[in-house]
Amino acid sequence: MTTTSPATSDASVEPTLGSYPIGNRLAFWGLVVFIAGYCVVLLSAFGIQFISHEFPCPLCMLQRYAMILATIPIVWIVAESLRGRLTRVTYLRSLGMSIVASVAGSIMSTRQILLHIASKTDPGYGSAVLGLHLYTWALITFQIVIVYCGASMMLNGQAIPEAPSSPKVQLLARAVLWLFLAVLVANVIAIIFLEGFSWVLPDNPTSYHLLHQF
Amino acid sequence: MILLLVTAILAYRGIRARAIISLWGVSLVATLLLFNYHVTSSLNLNF
Repeated sequence: MTTTSPATSDASVEPTLGSYPIGNRLAFWGLVVFIAGYCVVLLSAFGIQFISHEFPCPLCMLQRYAMILATIPIVWIVAESLRGRLTRVTYLRSLGMSIVASVAGSIMSTRQILLHIASKTDPGYGSAVLGLHLYTWALITFQIVIVYCGASMMLNGQAIPEAPSSPKVQLLARAVLWLFLAVLVANVIAIIFLEGFSWVLPDNPTSYHLLHQF
Repeated sequence: MILLLVTAILAYRGIRARAIISLWGVSLVATLLLFNYHVTSSLNLNF
């Protein structure tokens, strides 16, 4: 319920946290879906890496990093919301961080798209999924994140994430956070196997370097 | 990657905001430096 004082007009009154319960819940679950979505994307990349035996190139790995960088602030929002400590400053700051990471990711995806568009005989890196290469899909996800975060910032007066009060329902959101952390740990292990004792990936990786180094 | 993992754990645990933002910023800069390292040639494109 928005409260007004006689000294302020309705137009200048900003809603307090929890003013719009349905909008707040939608904002919360929207962000949980955001994290789950990127978990699916990162797990799909793993699927292609391990099932189709296609090794990720350095630019592919950098786009995964950008996806993780875009998701970490959202994890922060959801975790703070579950603790009941989310402030408007943390919310807006995190959305801004996510946009910055997505812009960085977009630059990397665009570079890789242009790299393969430049040559007419280049079939692209790796196999296509639903007609598009993974780096093109990555660019699409980054654009969706930018639009979603921008829209959330616009609507922050109407909707600010608020976790459900039921512990059972909260468990679902926590499970998504744990899944993201598990995907992150799996990526750390994968990159250690890919790079071996080197600081960077080779331009066109064809094996797990760590296994050869032993 | 380990830097990203540490940042994610800090964000999940809700440790001080300044630490989360600083580590996230360092991770972003490290990622951009890696990008700069891997981009070695200019593309033959005219816009």
